[in-house]
Amino acid sequence: GDSGTRKRKSRWADDEPKPTIQLPDYIKEIVGGIEFDPEIQVLNSRLLDISRLLQSGMALDDRPEGQRSPSPEPVYDNMGIRINTREYRARERLNRERQEIISQIIKKNPAFKPPADYRPPKLQK
Amino acid sequence: IALQRRMLQPGGTPTKIVCLTQVVTANDLGDDQEYEDIMEDMRQEGGKFGNLVNVVIPRPNPDRDATPGVGKVFLEYADLDGAAKARSGMNGRKFGGNQVVALYYPENKYAQGDYEGC
Repeated sequence: GDSGTRKRKSRWADDEPKPTIQLPDYIKEIVGGIEFDPEIQVLNSRLLDISRLLQSGMALDDRPEGQRSPSPEPVYDNMGIRINTREYRARERLNRERQEIISQIIKKNPAFKPPADYRPPKLQK
Repeated sequence: IALQRRMLQPGGTPTKIVCLTQVVTANDLGDDQEYEDIMEDMRQEGGKFGNLVNVVIPRPNPDRDATPGVGKVFLEYADLDGAAKARSGMNGRKFGGNQVVALYYPENKYAQGDYEGC
């Protein structure tokens, strides 16, 4: 690594003027200054919501009986336990959305470090 | 309106703790010297925004590859004002080539040593 001297450069880059989108002042006042792409912020916050939901252990599909669409045919594993429960499908749905959002964020911000369990979508021929 | 304002706060509800995400990698933190350097950089830079009380940089556990909180840096300020300046001042800055995202972090979680949730 470095030589023994303690005089080294901080890793912090100089505070370069940020390429901000200029918003009208009245919006700025409400939002308090957006530092980066609002689209990414929306994606990020949805991503956080999903992660929170997935980790919370709460019931993921809490729509009342009457408002659900018909369930697909049950699928059982070789122990005879149903695999595609409502809970399972809801979880899969969120996982898919999560992966999709991460893909979108990466597209907009290649410097984004995806979480460890993110698998980039398979490229289709 | 006050509530709406709060919801629209970038970085979440203001607290005295600022969490920097996407800052460092487990690799950077494995080396003691490098860890100290990063710590020093954080203290210096963080101190510019207010009264910086403490800096926490979770380090990777040697026998597990995924330790919660690794890659993040937590800056604890004496007051909300310092934290607010740091959050907006550091968000979007580059640290070692990584673009930093700065968020507020719940004080209770921080106090419990829970570094997972940001």
